[in-house]
Amino acid sequence: MEITFKFQRGGTRAQPEYVDYQIDVPPEMTVFDALVAVRETQDGTLAFRGSCSVGFCGDCTLSVNGAQKVTCLVTVGKTQKDGVITVQPIRYAPVEKDVMHDMRKFLWDKVDVFARGVVPNGGHPVTDEELRPVRKAMRCTTCGLCDEGCTVIDVNLDFYGPAALTKLYRFAFDPRDGITAERLREGSEVHGIWDCVHCWEATEHCPFGLEPTHLIMDTRDRAIAHGIKSGYGNKMLERHYDAFEESISRKGWLDERSVALQTYGGFIKGGIKTLPLGLRALRKGKATLKPHYKRPGAEHIRKIFDRYNRSNAGLRKEKQR
Amino acid sequence: MSHRFAFYPGCVSKGFCPELYDSFVRVAAEFDIEVEELKDVGCSGAGLIPAEISDPINARTLAKAEAMGLPLLTICSTCQGVIGGSALRLTDPAYRARINREHLADQGLEYQGTTDVKHFLWALVEDVGLDVVQSKIKRPLDGLGFSPFYGCYLRRPIDVIQRPERKLYLEQVTEALGGTNVDISGKGKCCGFPSLTANEENAFAMTAKHLGEAVSKGADAMVVPCPLCHLEMDGEQSEVEKATGRRFDLPILHLPQVVGLAIGLDPRELGLSRHMASTKKFVAQLQPVGSLVGAAS
Repeated sequence: MEITFKFQRGGTRAQPEYVDYQIDVPPEMTVFDALVAVRETQDGTLAFRGSCSVGFCGDCTLSVNGAQKVTCLVTVGKTQKDGVITVQPIRYAPVEKDVMHDMRKFLWDKVDVFARGVVPNGGHPVTDEELRPVRKAMRCTTCGLCDEGCTVIDVNLDFYGPAALTKLYRFAFDPRDGITAERLREGSEVHGIWDCVHCWEATEHCPFGLEPTHLIMDTRDRAIAHGIKSGYGNKMLERHYDAFEESISRKGWLDERSVALQTYGGFIKGGIKTLPLGLRALRKGKATLKPHYKRPGAEHIRKIFDRYNRSNAGLRKEKQR
Repeated sequence: MSHRFAFYPGCVSKGFCPELYDSFVRVAAEFDIEVEELKDVGCSGAGLIPAEISDPINARTLAKAEAMGLPLLTICSTCQGVIGGSALRLTDPAYRARINREHLADQGLEYQGTTDVKHFLWALVEDVGLDVVQSKIKRPLDGLGFSPFYGCYLRRPIDVIQRPERKLYLEQVTEALGGTNVDISGKGKCCGFPSLTANEENAFAMTAKHLGEAVSKGADAMVVPCPLCHLEMDGEQSEVEKATGRRFDLPILHLPQVVGLAIGLDPRELGLSRHMASTKKFVAQLQPVGSLVGAAS
């Protein structure tokens, strides 16, 4: 089929400058292979990334017709609209030339932070079941599509992002590893797991079904089990979690007023910080002074927390050491 | 025809968003939505508490609804997403059996895995039906622009929301009520609330982006199906204005409030005066009840 590639070769994302290339290719050819054909037959100066062409290296991610794709995994026939495929860089990666991204800055440097290999924990037989989640995370090709969809990266490029945090998961859940708590603390640094807003965009964007948002949430759960609720001295974050847990385990539900006060540093400090907004809320009837009673059945909720804390007591002691 | 549900209001509608609870109860009665409120159940965990704790808490909630033979109705996207996520994991028989054994058996409860969890938005479109909603209009919202803001949990992950068409219900409702849809690119993104304690700068940047886009596209109000989005977009709006130096002045309405206005309920009764971002200008634009100018039909 006749395809016109509108290939961005300059300008900005908002005001792109395109050069058109026509080529006749079979509809089942991948977009990446078609771009290689254009480069080989028409213009050897076209710059774009790509290597394996079989969905293994994750290098050929581009924006095609406005959607971000691993281009060796999508066909020309399904991608084209009225015979046209517009090729642009992805949104957040810096561009070196044409649509060739600087993936080191955008992604690889962040992934490397969490890529320290397994530090053996003394060795014990590992079951297939134990390794299954790790194998899943190991299938990540760092194609960057999860970072492209990330709500936090959208406002702050310093966030490690789901691809790098998938690498953290890969080692933090490895049953052979001996430095889990240390890894979880590293992942809890600023711009790490606690900055994720669990919007599930990463899970939706992963072309390999690896569910990166789920992996980040599992990593946070594991950090909490180790008693780690912030890795960079963000006391507010720690107090928030503790107040949340205390409220639900004592009363069965959330007492927002006391959680807000405790989060901001207790009755006096928190009171001062939340006073102006609190008074306005009270005046408007948005907040009330109605007491938050214990829910009927709260003792059953308490038992769930107690059981959890008992079973993770060993991990928390490990943190203190 | 009445629609019966076990009702899970969530902590926030009983805390800092009482106007959500009150407006829902008022509007539900108009659409024959009969609810039996679950009072002896726990907080869903809101995505903060580890699944190892929140799954048993939610299994208990689901089991209670199941014992009543009713689907569970939520009015909070976060409750919906978190309980929906637990319900999905609890479809695994081995996992469900463990939770039942370890956490529910001593209370004489057993969850069989059958409870459907539905947000009010979904119930309004799927159970009540937009035709019925339209038949009750007494004050069409013609001439008013509404930006839908779903937040995260009512649009993802797909195996929890189950039906992709649910990603567009919010604008379908406001349009059915006569309003104009003012679409914004971040309508399914995070509002910023979950990042308030971890990274306030990120949270405010997100909020400013959504509010700014809605205002620049001419929205008269934003509609949210989640009280946490409301706490951020409405409650923090003045703080976001201070931090970014931009003025938004955008009323943020809960979904039941918008429906309530269209069926002729009083704005005060729906709690519009209880918001932090003023709704006065918006309320002044409303047509009088009984007006049929361009009524959606």
